[in-house]
Amino acid sequence: MSKSIYDLVDNLPKRNVTTMVLNALDFVAPGQWQNPTNFEQMIRDISQETDEKWIQKIGDRAVWLYNDKNQGYQKALWLYQTVDSADYALGAAALANKVGEKIGFLSFLNKLTPSNQKAQALDLSLKLVVEVVAFCQINGLPGDSIGDFVKALKEYEGEALMRMAALVCIDGLIPFGADFILSVKSTLDNLTPKELSQNSAFSKVSKLIPGGNPAGQLQFIGSSFNAVQGWMTGFVGDRNLTQGKVMNNLQNFVEFSNDQLDYVAAFLDMSTNYFEHTGTQSIATRLIRRAMAEV
Amino acid sequence: MKKIPRFLVGLSLACLLIILPACGDNTPSRFEGAQQESIDAGSRNTAVSKDAVKGAGFNQFFPVSEGGYERVFTQEKDGFVEAVLKESGENVALLTVFDTVSNPSAKDDFADSQGEINGYPLAQKGSQATALLVADRYQVSVRSSNDSFTVNDREVWLSKFDLNGLANLD
Repeated sequence: MSKSIYDLVDNLPKRNVTTMVLNALDFVAPGQWQNPTNFEQMIRDISQETDEKWIQKIGDRAVWLYNDKNQGYQKALWLYQTVDSADYALGAAALANKVGEKIGFLSFLNKLTPSNQKAQALDLSLKLVVEVVAFCQINGLPGDSIGDFVKALKEYEGEALMRMAALVCIDGLIPFGADFILSVKSTLDNLTPKELSQNSAFSKVSKLIPGGNPAGQLQFIGSSFNAVQGWMTGFVGDRNLTQGKVMNNLQNFVEFSNDQLDYVAAFLDMSTNYFEHTGTQSIATRLIRRAMAEV
Repeated sequence: MKKIPRFLVGLSLACLLIILPACGDNTPSRFEGAQQESIDAGSRNTAVSKDAVKGAGFNQFFPVSEGGYERVFTQEKDGFVEAVLKESGENVALLTVFDTVSNPSAKDDFADSQGEINGYPLAQKGSQATALLVADRYQVSVRSSNDSFTVNDREVWLSKFDLNGLANLD
């Protein structure tokens, strides 16, 4: 039996490299993310209830909803967990005792191998696709039209907005610079289904990606990317985000120079699991919101 | 070097065994009862009844955007739909419909209902939400997400649902 939703939330780290990176990106989405790591407190904050009877009812209902495998929440969590780099454990172990001090980059440069452009582009696209698929597992397809669905995506706030901010910054701007959307798009356009199926990150999540076969899935990845491209362009434009700004903020706790950008991307991939971390929080938020209406 | 008496080693080990499990926070969660019951019940169709109405069926009965208010659908699951109500871009309330077939105890609050809207019993659900029970089955709620959205506002927006339409849903 999988873990309960309250265990998953209560066991999230209060402070590790992932939370430090996300905090460093607070300037992108100011105040949106408070790193909730206590399920009961989340119920209090979201419901604004103080009566213990209602806190209990809401929490109990959320527990049942999460455990019902037909409701999609467990699949969504699996997706969030799986798309985060497999190297995570290695990175986390190497950095476990570094938290709290400024991380000297040279000390573990030898453990890092930058990904090539293609792998990096695919990593960003896969994370986007996982977000779209997980969104549908968690929220269903709200409304009656594509327009309604796009509106629902725009409602991203809190930890979900933070996740998207991190995606744009860590997996977009840092490795590719300002043109990241164009770079990724052209990589996707030139990718063959065979190359896709050989990608290790893809093969891990492929069973939950619509499309039927690698050719169809590649098409799904392409159209998902196209669908959110406008949103990403707006996100970067509205906030005047640049690679330099992101790097400056990260330099508050990691020491690196600008000619090590490829390594920074590899470092962040290896040492953070921001999809799983904020994804767990998103699932809990939506469960609690649903449970409030079902008691 | 003098040998450490064997009984001392044994005693220390025994002490460790007693003390170690006490380290860390082992207080059981207040939701553990629900977790256990849910596991015992199985992992499929245990929280949501197979007879629950498909969420999409509820959409047509929701109030529409008007004036400075915008309604945005945000969740659609079996037997449940949620929309956010925004006023000038700010979230002010959550509008929901829930098929109580999946959790009939939700109906208990309507047993001693003091009020009604269009003939449907009304109940306060905690301090932030007001709900109606339609056709003895569908719970329609409005929950304030902002202090400016009062109990009275909740009742006004409850009356904007197509309650009779929902009552006749088959």
